[in-house]
Amino acid sequence: MGKLTLENISMIYHTLQSETKTLDNINLTVKDGEFVVIVGPSGCGKSTLLSIIAGLIKPTSGEIYLDDKIISYPCNEIGYMFQKDTLFEWRNIYKNITLGLEIRKELRKENIDFANSLIDKYGLSSFKNYFPSQLSGGMRQRVALIRTLVLNHEILLLDEPFSALDYHTRLLVADEIYRIIKAEGKTALMVTHDISEAISLADRIIVLSSRPAKIKRYLI
Amino acid sequence: MINNTPSKEHLEYIEKIKRRNILITLTRILILIIFIAQWEITARLNIVDPFLVSQPSRIAKTFFKLLEEGHLLRHTYVTCIETVIGFISGTIIGTLIAIILWISDFINKVLEPYLVVLNALPKIALGPILIFWVGNGQPAIIIIALTISLIVTIISVLTGFNDVDEDMIKLVKTFGANKYQILKYVVLPHSLPTIISTLKINVGLSWVGVIVGEFLVAKEGLGFLIVFGGQVAQLDMVMLSIIILSIIAYIMYAIVSKIESLFIK
Repeated sequence: MGKLTLENISMIYHTLQSETKTLDNINLTVKDGEFVVIVGPSGCGKSTLLSIIAGLIKPTSGEIYLDDKIISYPCNEIGYMFQKDTLFEWRNIYKNITLGLEIRKELRKENIDFANSLIDKYGLSSFKNYFPSQLSGGMRQRVALIRTLVLNHEILLLDEPFSALDYHTRLLVADEIYRIIKAEGKTALMVTHDISEAISLADRIIVLSSRPAKIKRYLI
Repeated sequence: MINNTPSKEHLEYIEKIKRRNILITLTRILILIIFIAQWEITARLNIVDPFLVSQPSRIAKTFFKLLEEGHLLRHTYVTCIETVIGFISGTIIGTLIAIILWISDFINKVLEPYLVVLNALPKIALGPILIFWVGNGQPAIIIIALTISLIVTIISVLTGFNDVDEDMIKLVKTFGANKYQILKYVVLPHSLPTIISTLKINVGLSWVGVIVGEFLVAKEGLGFLIVFGGQVAQLDMVMLSIIILSIIAYIMYAIVSKIESLFIK
């Protein structure tokens, strides 16, 4: 078995008018250190799948295993990166990066040192006291990634992290973030609707059908 | 700035803007002077009835007379304090209630129609009832000022709370944040500009509440001076109070704007 395993995950959304099946029996295993990309049409439930893995919503049925054990939430091993960088405009770059530590009350010396080492390593040290609005889109996305990495999760979930960037920046940032994730030895699960992006980044690609999403094909 | 020695064109540009600003200020002052002068002259020549519209020199005379008697500062002070207490407590209590409504969606939904009705109700209509409840005095005035700003504060601050990007909340949830931490790290700082702009609106509303309250119950304050002056047919006193009122209201608004600019970069 792998690092992260999804077993028979199904999701049904209820409204007063109807119920909608968004995920239909998803089975999937991600190996340690692997970069897996899920592609599928817009609105097929890719983001829902990530939210389920992150524990933000409960699936209607199915189980998630981390290192062969049923996962329990809140889970410290899983980090989540969004489409938008969601940096906090009222905090400077350093405070944005250490936000996770602050919320978890883990502002200990070794964690702060680790944060600083990441900041230095990925060229943000001269921007520590800047505010997000002073940074370019690509740089903001890098800050968002470092903010996630600081918590030293084993698994990163990436929800179309480049879709808000313009084409040129997107190529650069995608490449950069891929390198950072590989360099830090993280297991990553990314969703996107951009097939070329998937091909250029993934160790393995999983194709989802349109709603209700089923796994259509595994590509290696 | 591109370099340290600005070009001739740039200096000319700055000069032009400066001149324009000076011209605007001068014109403003000129309008004021002309207005006061024509008021004084038409009153002296009996073109307008000085009893009805008063006149600047009589207002000035009343000003110094009241100042000498020592009442004027007291009246102004009382009104100011009531207003400040009114808008600050309105903003704080309103924000606290908004926080409760944000925490519990159930309470929020239950209270929604009541808030809409209370918002539509002209709060001044409650004045006479409030006087019976809390007595004929300063507390009644402050509570009238408070009720006027309270509901507006609740509604606009809550709108600010619900305006927060869902992804930001999701993000801190993945960090393991509880409801209190979401409030502290995301919702409150994100809504600070809304809260402060509400404070600004409340300054104006609080003045309305305090003056109406003083009309109803007061024994001192500028609102009392206005009513008293009207009753004893001393329109100089009424005019003077209104002038003081507008100057102080402006200063208070300017202070709150200044505070706003400190918080919002």
